[in-house]
Amino acid sequence: MAYIIEQEVVKYVCTCGLLKPISKLYFCRYCLEVRCGFCVCHEVDSHFCEKCLENMPSAEARLKKNRCGNCLICPSCLLHLSVRAATVGPKNPEDPKATPRKVVYLHCLMCRWSSRDVGIPDQIAATGGWPERENVYNVRLSEIIEWYKSVVLLEKQQKLEKDKKKQRKYMSFTDKTGLTAEMIRKRIGLTEPPNPLLKTKAKPLEGAIAKEDVEELPDNIFTQPIKLNEITTVQQRLLQPEWQPVTVDKLFPIHKHLSVKQSLRCRSCEHNVSKPEFNPNSVRFKIQLFAYYHIPEIRIVTVEPLRAGQPAELLLKFINPTQHQTVVTILDLSSMPELIQDDKCSADTSTDDELKPIEKEPLSLSLTQSASLLHTTLSRQPSFTIKPRQTKQQVGADIEIPAANFVLPPRDDAAEFDDSGENYNFNDDPRLVKWRKSNKAVIKLQITPSTDLNLGDQVVVGFVMQHIYTNTIATSVEKDKEPQKCQHKIRVFLSLGNLLGSSE
Amino acid sequence: MPIYEGYGTITDKLTFIIDIGAAYTKIGFSAEFAPRAIVASEVRCKNTNQVRNIYDYKDKEDLYDLLVEFIHLLYFKYALISPKDRAVVIVESLLCPTLFRETLAKVLFYHYEVASLLVVPSHLVSLATLAIDTGLVLDIGYTEAVAIPICHGSPVLHAWQALPLGSQAIHSHVKTLLSADNTGIQNISESVLEDIKEDIKVRCCFVTKRERAEKLRSVSSDIAPCPSVVYPLGGTKSLNVSGKLREMMYEIFFDEDLDHLCISTMILNVIASVDVESRTLLAENIVLIGGTCMAPGFKARLKAELYRQLKNERYSKFKNIKTIKFHTPPAKENYTAWLGAAIYGATEIVSMKALSKDQYFKEKRLPDWWSNLKDVVRSI
Ligand SMILES: [Zn+2]
Ligand SMILES: [Zn+2]
Ligand SMILES: [Zn+2]
Ligand SMILES: [Zn+2]
Repeated sequence: MAYIIEQEVVKYVCTCGLLKPISKLYFCRYCLEVRCGFCVCHEVDSHFCEKCLENMPSAEARLKKNRCGNCLICPSCLLHLSVRAATVGPKNPEDPKATPRKVVYLHCLMCRWSSRDVGIPDQIAATGGWPERENVYNVRLSEIIEWYKSVVLLEKQQKLEKDKKKQRKYMSFTDKTGLTAEMIRKRIGLTEPPNPLLKTKAKPLEGAIAKEDVEELPDNIFTQPIKLNEITTVQQRLLQPEWQPVTVDKLFPIHKHLSVKQSLRCRSCEHNVSKPEFNPNSVRFKIQLFAYYHIPEIRIVTVEPLRAGQPAELLLKFINPTQHQTVVTILDLSSMPELIQDDKCSADTSTDDELKPIEKEPLSLSLTQSASLLHTTLSRQPSFTIKPRQTKQQVGADIEIPAANFVLPPRDDAAEFDDSGENYNFNDDPRLVKWRKSNKAVIKLQITPSTDLNLGDQVVVGFVMQHIYTNTIATSVEKDKEPQKCQHKIRVFLSLGNLLGSSE
Repeated sequence: MPIYEGYGTITDKLTFIIDIGAAYTKIGFSAEFAPRAIVASEVRCKNTNQVRNIYDYKDKEDLYDLLVEFIHLLYFKYALISPKDRAVVIVESLLCPTLFRETLAKVLFYHYEVASLLVVPSHLVSLATLAIDTGLVLDIGYTEAVAIPICHGSPVLHAWQALPLGSQAIHSHVKTLLSADNTGIQNISESVLEDIKEDIKVRCCFVTKRERAEKLRSVSSDIAPCPSVVYPLGGTKSLNVSGKLREMMYEIFFDEDLDHLCISTMILNVIASVDVESRTLLAENIVLIGGTCMAPGFKARLKAELYRQLKNERYSKFKNIKTIKFHTPPAKENYTAWLGAAIYGATEIVSMKALSKDQYFKEKRLPDWWSNLKDVVRSI
């Protein structure tokens, strides 16, 4: 799994035009296109607390402002607070029968902050009940919001009324008889149906009064030395936006912020390409259409020293991750024209066009897309896809496109341990295929770094990999049908290393 | 069976309120009284591992990518909701570059597929937190100080004034002042210094009184500056933050330049450019917003400076202005504008005035907030 942390030397071009290593790509089996984190639709799947690994339903998470009710973090260093038990003297020391009480307080094992430092009273129950602070402006702000709400509602109502009247002028049937609906209603003794929201007509709210007196600097600020460790840092303040305590004695414990699991959805067909399991303990997925499972992986085996204008031998290993045999063909980059080449000329002025959403056919969900998907997306607007970007990768070497293609057998985990001499009979072109074992093959390509490159420049080659993809989704429905096979093309760029000087 | 966030379970309309400041971004939800989070307006670049401020963009595409990255963080790390098909309210400064606002709208509509977008001006919505419709709003943020008068719910746009005075100006001052008392400061790496400038400012410095500033500046000073602070740098290293630095740091706000411009005269110039009747009203309804206004002693000093300037010959036409009054919004200065937007976001203004996805795709641009909000704002 080294390629996850190592420098990205083999990059595939995503359908959206971005270059990504295969470990960061998805493969939508419905569109038969690669997708990446940039071009899929991210959605919040489930909320959970990282510390207690407890799931929280979204509605509850919203109510609790995305914070865990049980876990608290240290306001000073952000690590988890632990609950400490202590024994204190009885409430009533005079009473001889009174026994010492067990109490709990919060304590940070890292920075030794304690709830006792800031005067939070000890609690009896370990499960908390720690005092919560309220915004001091709660009452006033609720009033203000209610007031603005009703004012705007009134405005809206009046506007609607006006529009209605305007409409009636032209459209009302009763107009012709000189009667408006309102008049009829009045005549028959009905009054205008009152809007329940307007019943309490916006009672005027007092605006705030400005004052001439302002807070002056305390006199001792000029003479008293300050203790830095008693003054909070910006980070500590911003963690509690409502209070932003200036001194450490005002730091109160913070409820742990929740985390989310995300699901990813293909924007052109609305299918998930990744959906995590609900359980926070699980790192597995319900759906994971990683490209790594569908597209042959390419690794660089060796490359001869790269010198400008001199041909060099490049050995690449191809690995078929699927359960189906595939045939790989190397093609020239020009065999896969960029979708947006027509925009080239207007590169600077293309403010409007470059991101044009591509109109999509109305959702036609295949049979395999169960009703469950339809159900969960009831109120969901269909996504739209964005025009792909131009890939900016410059190629610095010519590649000799081999005439032959080569076969990659399906992956067979058992074969990994089988050392017995294997007999392959794939009619390989010996000039192309140098080595093979189970689902892997090493092929030889000839490349020539461009003479335009400077010494030390990174040499990049690019080609189109065409491979046969066996689509397995259709088979699950119509069992007797052969799995669909299709040719899938993807552009690949390899960073081969730096250009060396001439060999002399 | 998990209850899916987002679709089907939502009964209330949840509007996401974003105020992207030059240094800090405030995010949260409509009808709440404080932002859920205040985070640095920066992202870590995945390839180079460098932290980049989202306003340090190279070009349009670079900004688009920075915003995609940053807004993803806002939604999935802090707000924890899916952006798609939801309304967004953006707080915008008057001086926001067109490229920035257009790109932001593009990112929200194209990349995140938000349902609608309402852009509200920071100065105007700040008054909503006070339930008043007239006031002079001074916003001192990271890069600049901007003052705009608002009369009866309408910003008097021609009267606005701005100066490049903000935290950034202070921070660049810190190094100069520090090197005066710390001979070894050259040995401290630039990145370390960058990180601690804000911390030194926030934890050590304050806005001193005018008389003291004048005396401390003169060579034959007869007063002692406030005590100095030893600022630890980790290990045995430390910096000496002198008392003079602690007191004098904010003086650049009140030092008049060649055109007599500074924070106090800027306010008076704003007042001078509105009609005579409104002048007293504005002087008695000053609202300070922006994180930089939170410096201890700032309000008191600004008041003193305004009174001092009023005595000046140049402002003799302001005879009617007898008092200067300040408001105290029910919020910290650094999120007052956000709170105003959260109040707006709680009302039907969002459904009435926000730009919908369809409208945006038709027009391909963001209308000015002013032409958009005009009629509704007046009624408030
Ligand atoms: Zn992509
Ligand atoms: Zn928890
Ligand atoms: Zn701690
Ligand atoms: Zn798809």
